[in-house]
Amino acid sequence: MKKIVYRYSILALLVGLSACERKLDIDPEQSIPAEQALSTSQNIQSLLIGTYDQAGTDDLYGGFLQMLADLYGFSGQASWVGTFTQPREVFNKRIRVDNSFVRDHWINAYQVVNATNLIVDHLHVVDEAERDRVAGEAKFLRALVYFDLVRSFGRPYVSEEANNQPGVPLSLTGILDYDGDLAVPRNTVDEVYTQVLADLNDAYSLLPESNGYYADRYSAQALLARVYLQQGNYTAARDAANDVIQNSGRVLTPTYQEAFNNEANSVEDLFAFQVTNQSGTNQLVVHYATQDLGGRGGDIVVQPAYLALFDSDTDDRSMFFYESSRGLLSSKYTNQFGNIAMIRLAEMYLIRGEANLRLGTAVGATPADDINVLRARANAALKPAVTLEDVLLERQLELAFEGFLIHDVKRTRETIVIVESVGGESTEVPIPYNDNRLTYPIPQREIDANPLLEQNPGYGT
Amino acid sequence: MKLKIHYFLIILFVCVTIFGYAQQKTIAGTVNSEGGQPLSGASIVVKGTNISTLTDEYGRYTIVAELDQTLVISYVGFQTQEVPVANNNFINVNLLNAASDLDEVIVVGYGTQSKRKLTDNVAKLTSSDISQIPSPGFQSLLSGKAAGVQVMQTNGKVEAGISMRIRGVASIGAGSQPLYVLDGMPLINQNESNNSAPQNPLLTLSPNEIASIDILKDASATAIYGSRGANGVVVITTKKGQSGRSSISANVSHGWSGPANKREWLNAAEYKELLQESLINRYGTESGTQRFESFMDNYSAGTDWRNGEVDTDWQDLAFQDGYLTDADLSMSGGNDKTTYFLSGAYNGTKGIIRGNELERLTSRINVSHNFSDKFTGGANLSFSKTSIDRIANDNAFVTPLQAVALSPISPAYLPDGEPNGNTIYANFLLQDRHAFYNTVIRRVTGKAFGEYRFLPYLKFNTDFGYDLYYQTEDSYTGRLAPFQSTNGEGYASSVGTESYITSNYFTYSQNFANIHDLEAVVGMEFNDTRRRFQSVTGIEFPTDDFQTIGSAAEITAGNGNVSQYNFLSYFVRATYSLKDRYLLKASVRRDGSSRFGESVRYGTFAAASAGWILSEEDFLSESEVVSFLKLRGSWGQSGNAEIGDFASLGLYGGISYNQRPGISPTQPANSFLTWEKVNQYDIGVDFGFLNNRLSGELDYYVKQSKDLLFDVPLPGTSGFSTITRNIGLMENRGVEFVLNTENIKKEGFTWNTSINIARNNNEVKELPNGADVISGRNIVREGEAINSFYVLEYAGVSPDNGDALYYLNSKNEDGTLSKETTNDPNRANRIVAGSPIPVWIGGFTSALFFKGFDFSFTFQGEWGASIYNAGGLYQSANGDYYDNQSRDQLRRWRQPGDITDVPQARFGLGNGTAHSTRYLERTDFIRLRNVNLGYTIPQQALQQLGINNLRVYLAAFNLLTFTDYQGYDPEARSDAGETAAGNGIDFYSAPAARTFSLGVNFNF
Repeated sequence: MKKIVYRYSILALLVGLSACERKLDIDPEQSIPAEQALSTSQNIQSLLIGTYDQAGTDDLYGGFLQMLADLYGFSGQASWVGTFTQPREVFNKRIRVDNSFVRDHWINAYQVVNATNLIVDHLHVVDEAERDRVAGEAKFLRALVYFDLVRSFGRPYVSEEANNQPGVPLSLTGILDYDGDLAVPRNTVDEVYTQVLADLNDAYSLLPESNGYYADRYSAQALLARVYLQQGNYTAARDAANDVIQNSGRVLTPTYQEAFNNEANSVEDLFAFQVTNQSGTNQLVVHYATQDLGGRGGDIVVQPAYLALFDSDTDDRSMFFYESSRGLLSSKYTNQFGNIAMIRLAEMYLIRGEANLRLGTAVGATPADDINVLRARANAALKPAVTLEDVLLERQLELAFEGFLIHDVKRTRETIVIVESVGGESTEVPIPYNDNRLTYPIPQREIDANPLLEQNPGYGT
Repeated sequence: MKLKIHYFLIILFVCVTIFGYAQQKTIAGTVNSEGGQPLSGASIVVKGTNISTLTDEYGRYTIVAELDQTLVISYVGFQTQEVPVANNNFINVNLLNAASDLDEVIVVGYGTQSKRKLTDNVAKLTSSDISQIPSPGFQSLLSGKAAGVQVMQTNGKVEAGISMRIRGVASIGAGSQPLYVLDGMPLINQNESNNSAPQNPLLTLSPNEIASIDILKDASATAIYGSRGANGVVVITTKKGQSGRSSISANVSHGWSGPANKREWLNAAEYKELLQESLINRYGTESGTQRFESFMDNYSAGTDWRNGEVDTDWQDLAFQDGYLTDADLSMSGGNDKTTYFLSGAYNGTKGIIRGNELERLTSRINVSHNFSDKFTGGANLSFSKTSIDRIANDNAFVTPLQAVALSPISPAYLPDGEPNGNTIYANFLLQDRHAFYNTVIRRVTGKAFGEYRFLPYLKFNTDFGYDLYYQTEDSYTGRLAPFQSTNGEGYASSVGTESYITSNYFTYSQNFANIHDLEAVVGMEFNDTRRRFQSVTGIEFPTDDFQTIGSAAEITAGNGNVSQYNFLSYFVRATYSLKDRYLLKASVRRDGSSRFGESVRYGTFAAASAGWILSEEDFLSESEVVSFLKLRGSWGQSGNAEIGDFASLGLYGGISYNQRPGISPTQPANSFLTWEKVNQYDIGVDFGFLNNRLSGELDYYVKQSKDLLFDVPLPGTSGFSTITRNIGLMENRGVEFVLNTENIKKEGFTWNTSINIARNNNEVKELPNGADVISGRNIVREGEAINSFYVLEYAGVSPDNGDALYYLNSKNEDGTLSKETTNDPNRANRIVAGSPIPVWIGGFTSALFFKGFDFSFTFQGEWGASIYNAGGLYQSANGDYYDNQSRDQLRRWRQPGDITDVPQARFGLGNGTAHSTRYLERTDFIRLRNVNLGYTIPQQALQQLGINNLRVYLAAFNLLTFTDYQGYDPEARSDAGETAAGNGIDFYSAPAARTFSLGVNFNF
């Protein structure tokens, strides 16, 4: 008996082992390895869908990016009364190098860049029938984030100059190997704009006329109009906007109110990030709305200075607000599961109108007609003729709180005036459009992790 | 499958065991103390067999043994004695008083060893060290009791995560918690909280079941646990029955608790004044006053704020009076064949923070039976249910402690009794009333074991252990809770992790010629752990009366995942002693884990140690002064496999966009990822003087963590923000000293003290290219302690204008740092300013017994660590926003010439709120961790009641704290994700509970 036991116990040690050895091979069940993810047409297309989701996160087009662009530009139109200090720094135009909203804008933007790069690098595995569309959408998304990166982190683009000031690093190849040196320097503002235009022109020629709620040819063209306008290239901006107005098939929503808080894209949307109660996020509601609407109580309160801009008593847009315990809040963001409209057709009328006015042309329509299209929809008194001021004012009336303000300030070279404490005394301080304070700092964590990055002027050593 | 066959055969064999037979006889005798008193319950074991018995109440015993065998006679508190059977029919023994605790049995993993012959550093605690301390988690009871062992409860929540660091931080990227082994079973110790605040998975263990805790500190001890031993090993042994004595013991206690510390905040009048001043400084007198009045009108809920009608103490509302009930009952006993231990325990703890409660029921059965003198088998089984009412993590507006930020001019409740909903931040009282978060953990841990002794010197052990951690979470946020906009939101999750382990090993143990003692262990172990998680979130409930997920009209999220990891190990260990004085030990373990890539799947971990008991040598054996002296040295390796299950792969995970499936990159690839290894050297001396009335240990160790795993920040432009890499070399170097003294040892009066003190220096030695690794406000830099704080240096306040100033700290040409100041934090440079890890830790325990009274206490202290208060920029920000301020903000700068460290109040402009040393503080403290005062009622008074022993006691936990630290608690760290505890960050973190309890112990 003793021998038998002995044998079995030895067996327990040895036989058991060989059976167990194979059990060490375990594959993950919720993820797939990179080689697999990038090897089939289906997976590349899935990666593209995933990239829309990444672009729609909090810190990018889920809302912070648009919200900060307005807070950065406010002179007195509205106030940040929320508790978060990061938006408060942006509102005060005193941004610290460790501001986490600014940091995450950068990080998330490059996540989108890398995913789009991987898609572009692996187009050869995509079914031919889908290849152009996939390429076009990837390039559209890449251009979108680079455009917002360069106009936030680079000093303003000056038309007809070299624009050699540092922009952001251009990364155009997907990274799979993370073992090497990943440090990259900043490209110039001009180089980044050139890339944005190249991507958008590609996207325009690759994308179909319509593409559901994903980017289509006119999403790319509309974004091109926006980029050209920012560059002061009014001819190109006008023509792109005109193409969109005439050919995209989009029309203005019957009322101004209907352009907002939509769970499916409106007839006016050229591109919107999709939000449902199961995916996506609408941080604009979080910070603009009261608690019962899914917000934090109304962190951005509209001030009389903004209401005073309206020149018509019947303008629906002047009444598109509601009262809360903190003050007047915008009604543009009251559906927490509503889509985030990125490009509305209304903007195209404003671009075409402004460009025609500046160029003294009337391509598509006269500037007054373009402005009156929007005013008519909002039941505002029509204007027989318009000046440049009228058009720029109309932008504020139509597009307020949608992420345009700081970029318009820089483009039109305005000066922001804010109240600060100077030497312990409350003082009104003018901040010209090209002040160091109106360009984001390169995030401290990026400077720490990437020795090739150069900090923007005004942000210490 | 083969594994199953193997078990079937083992079981079969158990059933048909044949009793061996040899030349036997019966021996009888008595066991007395030195002074001739009979010892009842002394143990007599036939050496090398499982045959044993106990003496009766007159000290008598009988036992059957063979002629060539030896009897081992032992009794607690006395030296163990061995007597060969030979031709004796009667063996009477007088046991000598024990040489302190040197004959304690130390559990070393796959076996035991006497402390006397141990060549490793192991700290042992027994049930008497940890019983009757009013705290639900057993780990906090260890605080201050063992040298070099730092135990921290994250904060004052009852279920808060525990961090135990043995000899400093050996790892940061991988797990830094020790391996917990319960009766041979590595315990599941994964935090399963889904509200981001870690929760202690070992809460399910009741301290009353624990017989002893052995903390394996040096690598020679931990190497036998190979890839899982790098952070030390905590070996927990549960209680067993003793043959011969049946006893029932019961313990009931009730306790009351409150926060160990409160902070001072501004009252309504002070708040009003500061806020007005701040707004005027920013916006001018007219606009500032107008803003101030409109704020006050808005948030005072219609009360007369001008005359101070409301002065709400929000801090008081966040805390509640804690209450604690502890009860346990255990039965144990047995005969020479079978022993058993049965116990049941209840713990109800109402925490000190409103809405935080815990209730736990535990039960355990340990049974062991000698089927023959060759074969012993048995089983341990415990099950428990723990229910916790949880509150939000520290970084949530609805967590009670964030109420200190609320304005004191806002009433807490409206006249109708509902909490006031119009406060600057969410009123947590609404959350408390209209939402809940309940976690229930069921846990089953057990093992079946068999031991077969082929020969007196060779035995085989087989263990099969099983651990199930099954947890459900249910939460509901009602319509009236803050931020609720979807007609209620419900969440339900369940997670089950089960782990089984099988260990099989031979032990060979032989004594040659009474000179050579050899023991060898060789075996294998296989561990398989699987986890399955799922959760559902729903919104739109008919009314708030419906609170379970089934009533949700819309399901908005569902999650589910499974994962698994395995370990396959072989191990061998040999221990040799020559003449009971020259000691040698060596071990090797080879581990394979599914967590690592195929090429680096196996790791081999070796250790060796040696000892020399000088006091056994002729030149010392007669010494009156030196009663025991041992030198020992060890070296060993262990590993750390606590990284993600698939950390080396580049991964893509599923994602959804508008209900369309997509994928996105979730983890960058690192094919070079390998084990983190720890090499440790230790030299030590164990000593006993004056008949061991003075005894202790002194150790010096160097512990080097190689291939340190760390989440290294990547340039964001790469598409990922961090990657797990093996980044370098870190060293913990330190000294530990333990001194136990028996100050008074008389009939009816004894007084013992024990001091332990440890110094640990943590230093990062090598990093790739010597480059800093900065994450948030912590830095990993060569030559500094790991995760040192890296912030701006606050330079105080300009007396001229009240600006907050920071030192530039830019490099001068001569290499020194410029101490010029600036009011622009972006211009200043960060410096290394302190470390989250203490340099010195120590404990002092003293126990007094006089007549029937007993009195004991433990002080614990830490020096050298700092905490960064990430909430400081809101709490102590000279009225930068509407947040109520800490009372020290009263000394803010107000006019030119003021000399102070609190800048001028400037609403919303962040004057002085940059992350700087302004909010960094040393935590040095000494804490009176526990005090116990008891009285044992004389037996004569009880005999008629049938009670053997009755003791009443008063216990206190965290009674006093001596510190200059200004925050809530020098031990409280944030439990919220981004401000992880390991980085030494405080963020509205609750202080520890101070508890008093009254209890009574019975023995029948």
